[in-house]
Amino acid sequence: MVVARNSAYLIGLTPAALLLSLFFVGPALWAAYSSLTNLALVGIDAANPRFIGLDNYARLFSDPDFWQVIRNSVTFVVGSAVIGQFGLGLGLALLIDHAERRRWWFATVAYAAVLLAWVNPTLIAGFLWVAMYDFFFGSLNHVFLSALGLPPVDWLGSFPMPAVIVANVWRGTAFTMIIFLGALKTIPPDIYEAARIDGAGTWRRFWDHTIPSLRPIVALTLLSITMSTFGTFIVIQALTNGGPGIATEVIALYAFDSAFKSFSIGYGSAIAAVMLALNLVFAVVYLRWSRARA
Amino acid sequence: MARVEYENVSKRFPTQDRAAIDDFTLDVADGELLVLLGPSGCGKTTALRMLAGLEHPDSGDIRIDGKSVVGLEPKDRDVALVFQSYALYPHMSAKDNIRYPLRVKHMNEAERERRVGQVAEMLSLTALLERRPARLSGGEQQRVALARAIVRQPRVFLMDEPLSNLDAKLRTHTRTELKALQRQLGTTTVFVTHDQAEAMTLADRIAVMDRGRLLQLGTPDDLYLRPVNLFVAQFIGSPPMNILAAEVRDGALLAEGTWRLPLPRGIAAKSVSVGIRPEGIELDESSTDAQVGEVLVSEPLGSETIVDVKVGGALVKVRAAPQVRPDPGTRVHLRVDPSAIRLFDTASGSAIA
Amino acid sequence: MTPRAETTVARTVAAPRGASWLETIAVHAVFALVVVFFLAPFVWLFTAAFDGRAQAYIRLPEQPTVDNFARIFTEHDFARALGNSVLVAGATMLLDVVAVSLAGYSLSRLDLRFKSWITYAVLLLQTMPLSATMVPIYGLAQALGLRNSYLGLILIHAAIELPFLIWLMKGFFDGVPRYLEEAAWLDGRSKLRALIEIVLPVARNGIGVVAGLSFLAAWSEVLMMIILIDKQDLKTVPLAFYEVLRTRGGYTEVQYGLIAAMGVLYAVPVMAIFFATRRMMVRGLIATSRGL
Repeated sequence: MVVARNSAYLIGLTPAALLLSLFFVGPALWAAYSSLTNLALVGIDAANPRFIGLDNYARLFSDPDFWQVIRNSVTFVVGSAVIGQFGLGLGLALLIDHAERRRWWFATVAYAAVLLAWVNPTLIAGFLWVAMYDFFFGSLNHVFLSALGLPPVDWLGSFPMPAVIVANVWRGTAFTMIIFLGALKTIPPDIYEAARIDGAGTWRRFWDHTIPSLRPIVALTLLSITMSTFGTFIVIQALTNGGPGIATEVIALYAFDSAFKSFSIGYGSAIAAVMLALNLVFAVVYLRWSRARA
Repeated sequence: MARVEYENVSKRFPTQDRAAIDDFTLDVADGELLVLLGPSGCGKTTALRMLAGLEHPDSGDIRIDGKSVVGLEPKDRDVALVFQSYALYPHMSAKDNIRYPLRVKHMNEAERERRVGQVAEMLSLTALLERRPARLSGGEQQRVALARAIVRQPRVFLMDEPLSNLDAKLRTHTRTELKALQRQLGTTTVFVTHDQAEAMTLADRIAVMDRGRLLQLGTPDDLYLRPVNLFVAQFIGSPPMNILAAEVRDGALLAEGTWRLPLPRGIAAKSVSVGIRPEGIELDESSTDAQVGEVLVSEPLGSETIVDVKVGGALVKVRAAPQVRPDPGTRVHLRVDPSAIRLFDTASGSAIA
Repeated sequence: MTPRAETTVARTVAAPRGASWLETIAVHAVFALVVVFFLAPFVWLFTAAFDGRAQAYIRLPEQPTVDNFARIFTEHDFARALGNSVLVAGATMLLDVVAVSLAGYSLSRLDLRFKSWITYAVLLLQTMPLSATMVPIYGLAQALGLRNSYLGLILIHAAIELPFLIWLMKGFFDGVPRYLEEAAWLDGRSKLRALIEIVLPVARNGIGVVAGLSFLAAWSEVLMMIILIDKQDLKTVPLAFYEVLRTRGGYTEVQYGLIAAMGVLYAVPVMAIFFATRRMMVRGLIATSRGL
């Protein structure tokens, strides 16, 4: 009876379920499996992959580059998501909300500028910052620093990690800003009015009413941008391609290079499996927290 | 034209402890207007939705015209449902709403237009046909919903509290019109409401439900005069029937330990619940007989006065003539017609025949 | 009370105390910095695209020209890339609208004990990074013959955004009262027809957001394009852009103007569609994050 009543809906789920199994669930399982083989894109191993157990993982965990890549990933995620996008996004949301209550139209311009960088295809973001950072003719050196009378800086050579972090902050700040602006809009104005009648000053109101109303979504937003930043590498690929050396090689780029530059699918899959495992930890925490909210 | 039967129907929702519908058996005659009446959560809407095919019974059978409809999709049942919220399609004009079921049936255009015109005329909607639901008042929306049901000429009309979103005045007016309309069309109708006054005015027969069970099925008069238990007695009538605890003593009843009442017939029980309708009691301020009551308050309603009288530890409501206005604190004698007295078993609540 | 006094009162209610000049200047200065930081790269993109002798730094073109645009069409076969992109993004959008309508509606109306688990599974998939599955997807596409094929591009791009869009659309369907479709069933419609004729028109804002986002995502996405396509005649806009970006420089001068012109044609449709529908899009995004 239960099944009969729901049969139409279960049929309705099938097209999506097929696509999701084919391109999400299947690949995840395949990554786990092929990470245990010596599958390669070219050569003898491409035709006849052998089962080699945990060799790929052993190789991965004993590879000093891998641990450097992990450190780079943590720096990149903390710098661009946790500090950059989150800090800037939250700050801008508060400032824009405040300015909108004051009816300052310039807030809308700032809002649109931030949004534009986010809507823009990621690859373009990479290209735009390639030009910005260019040593000889980039706008940063050629326009801004020279206007201040300062000597040019080799941004991508001397400060590669901060450079890619800034580019990624530029690209991704809007998400946090949108989410927090949405949350701020749900604070009813009469709360502020009541607080003002109670004699609370601007800062009191901010700490007593604004901050508590944002707290529930802080953790979820942080986790969400952490996960998406963890998986991104297009901007880095365009800017430094992981260099100089492996100074900006993050785990996703490392997986890409191992599989498609070194053509070793098994090794690339082991990296992918590690990524999936790490991501699963974040995702489970994320789901628990969001369920607790619901 | 159709006869509707429920036979031993039961239904439990997974999230609830008790059955929503418990061994429900009911027979609705062809052309009859039957009201399912009960408090919220009594299962009346579930019973109606099972007939529509929107809910499915766990056991038992539901038949329309002798044929089981269990397992039949709503679209294949040929019944129309008027929803409490009207369920008008917001993106269609009133006319498109009314026309929708006919389009589904692939009826030819001329016949379709004729029927829509006729129904619109019948419900005075002709001038409103081009409007979207959002631009119609509550009463107009209600009429469009009704028109959409009528235009199909279905075997059965189902109505789920269709009047409860209207304001009080419009509700009474629409009630009368609805009854006339149903008479005129002669379509079997099952009408759900929690409003006993609405049930009394509309129904050919009323089925009173509580906690998923059918308590009593009968004409409005049956229910009013001969309720089968305390629940029905107190659910029907406004103000409801007075219920007092009483003991059988020396061939008479002693209610609330102070009020002597005639015992209509011999009974075996020692203690019972006595039920008397407010109009079954007469106030007498001047009588020198035992003045068991003390007036608490008089509620003048224009056409009548409801007097609250304290008898022992109980409150008794008495329906009196409009000019009767006893002052609070007045001691009164209460006279009761023996034929107005109903007896109930205190433990089970059932009427003692 | 004069009308003037009234407006003053209304203002005071909207904005508490008037802002001090210090606050006004400080806030506007911050906004000015933000605008410069976020817009400067775009200023360069648009000036360079119309500059015959574009440089890596921002400068106004001495003689604005559309030469760069002409050259990407004549020298880089950009028309084909545009056509391929429109085809892939359009078909992805259609497929997503159908699959998401069916799945979102079903998930909204499903009445099963383990329904919440399905919902969480969808959310879990949404958090899976594409860069972690790109390697297996490559292998899978190879095995199924989906590399270098429109079908492969369409299926995979439709799948990428599916979890998020289902979750988004479920929210819109949750907002459509059930009695509407029940009324349509009783009027004689099947569940599918009732969905198409009654529920979808009522939830059309959601469908609009789903269509817009799936088109934009498929138009912008580059990683899968890189992995799945290596035939010139299947090249899409992001792939064409990726190529000129990767092969820039070498021994010759970097053709900034050319790349910028391609970037403009790549980015402008996205910006245009997003900003034309931004209220709906942003509201959809916020609603989704709140539904978490």
